[in-house]
Amino acid sequence: MREEAVLFGEVRSLVGIVTDPAVRDGGLRRPGVILLNPGIVHRVAPGRVYVRMARALAAMGFVVLRFDFSGIGDSPVRHDNLPFERSAARETQEAMHFLQATRRVERFILLGGCSGARVSLRTAYCDPRVVGAFLINLEISEDDDQGTEQIGRTAAFYYWNFALFDLKSWGKVLTGKADYRKIFRALGFQARRRFPYARKMAPEFIQLSANLRMLADRGVCVTFLYAQSDPRLNDLNEALSRELRELRELAKVRVEIIPRSDHTFSSLHDQDKLLRKTCELIEGIASSTSCGTIAQERDWLPHPCEILPQGDGN
Amino acid sequence: MKPAERIVPFYFGPPDKRLFGCCHEPLERHRKCAVVVCQPIGHEYINSHRALRQLASRLSYAGFPVLRFDYCGCGDSAGDGKEARVSQWLEDISEAISEVRRRTGAFQVCLIGLRVGAALAMMSAAELSNPDSLVLWDPVVNGKSYLEGLLRLQKEMLRFRPKPSSAQQPLDYVDVLGFPLSRFLQAELKNIRPPAIGGTLVKNVLVIQTDRTADEASLQKHAGPLGSCFEYRHLDAPQIWLPTADGSLVVPSQVLESIVSWTSWVHA
Repeated sequence: MREEAVLFGEVRSLVGIVTDPAVRDGGLRRPGVILLNPGIVHRVAPGRVYVRMARALAAMGFVVLRFDFSGIGDSPVRHDNLPFERSAARETQEAMHFLQATRRVERFILLGGCSGARVSLRTAYCDPRVVGAFLINLEISEDDDQGTEQIGRTAAFYYWNFALFDLKSWGKVLTGKADYRKIFRALGFQARRRFPYARKMAPEFIQLSANLRMLADRGVCVTFLYAQSDPRLNDLNEALSRELRELRELAKVRVEIIPRSDHTFSSLHDQDKLLRKTCELIEGIASSTSCGTIAQERDWLPHPCEILPQGDGN
Repeated sequence: MKPAERIVPFYFGPPDKRLFGCCHEPLERHRKCAVVVCQPIGHEYINSHRALRQLASRLSYAGFPVLRFDYCGCGDSAGDGKEARVSQWLEDISEAISEVRRRTGAFQVCLIGLRVGAALAMMSAAELSNPDSLVLWDPVVNGKSYLEGLLRLQKEMLRFRPKPSSAQQPLDYVDVLGFPLSRFLQAELKNIRPPAIGGTLVKNVLVIQTDRTADEASLQKHAGPLGSCFEYRHLDAPQIWLPTADGSLVVPSQVLESIVSWTSWVHA
């Protein structure tokens, strides 16, 4: 395994680290893996998990690139006015161009956490070199929950999914040691969001569902990976339950859950589980797309991702 | 718009312990002094990366070549976090100073450190590197309280999260917000008591304090004996190394401005 710091992109401003395997598998069959910024955290990711992931995948024979989008981490801001959702997809394409030119990798698996998952999906829609989109805790809706609302949401999810089934928590409630105000506030939050939520987001979910079908038709493996205690998992189930079932039957969409983990996989134990699961699933994607050709190559020439209907990427 | 700096990412150091560095090279004015940034560790490193990167850019605009780098077992550098050692990090700082001198031709060096990075910068100044100036941003001066703070934070962060079972808890290290602290490193950190700067050859020291709970008297004792060359500034700014509720990364403009203006004045 060898790590190299690189500069690439239109004006060579994007900073990244390429992790090369000690030995390539005889050439070009394995897809390259590109790790996209989880939110505004730089390419190391919370808990340094992208570094561990890149090294583990390189040990399995994959070329891995993790880099910073413009304005995040070490990469300087862009001087055009391109909005993030467009510049990020474009820069992901530049990352693919770079690995094609320097490592002769032709096909790619895009992996991203949080907003990085949105960019992975967005880029997969428009670039046929993408054979796998690995989406960790994808936020499927435009989220207007910020700050205190976000805390309420997390607390509600925790009470609803974990504390409710925990004897210790019930003990606290019965002995007056619980924070009743917080519990009522969290339950109120849960009740408030149920009703208007589905109506408001429906068009976006329909679009997502159509895009997933399009990717399935193209033969792209889409993997949703969620931490069990991430409230976004609820969103996915609420939004796409029927469609997901159908898409999973096509064997090109997978939904995997890391038990008892949180959004940022903030314990080392959770990170280990994430790492193992990621390596196993990426190996699966690489095997299932190992023919080395892109089925719709003729019809799907790479183009800038400017026509996509999805919303904000950060 | 023409950029005012060139950013060069690279690896340096011995082949078995390669360190990641990011050099900010000013395109126009060059000062005689280069700056080396000593970052904090663990989640504090992640949370403060954005601010320290912007600090490097601002210093570079002011004419300083700046090297930010990751210690062994941290960030993009080689090694596993479980094997991290304070003694190794001190060697890494020396390596970074040699590297920035080699790359820029500057002889004078200013060390800027945040939290544990500041403690390491002080220790390095006393033992190894002899920098011309030191900027200590909320330095850790009491390793024991620092460790206690980390463990408190870990407990607080677990409040709304599924708790790990005792079988999942490792024996040889402690998990602090997803970063391992080995027993050995804990012992090393616990013993952090940076030496008084007065005994070293550092001429100029700036201490910036944003943490109101910090032990100011102890800090003055460690960094104060330099008389007119020592400056202490208390700034009302956020503690950027702490996690925020919404995951945002804070950049305290007033602190960065303060550091840049002081460094520019000292190395005019």
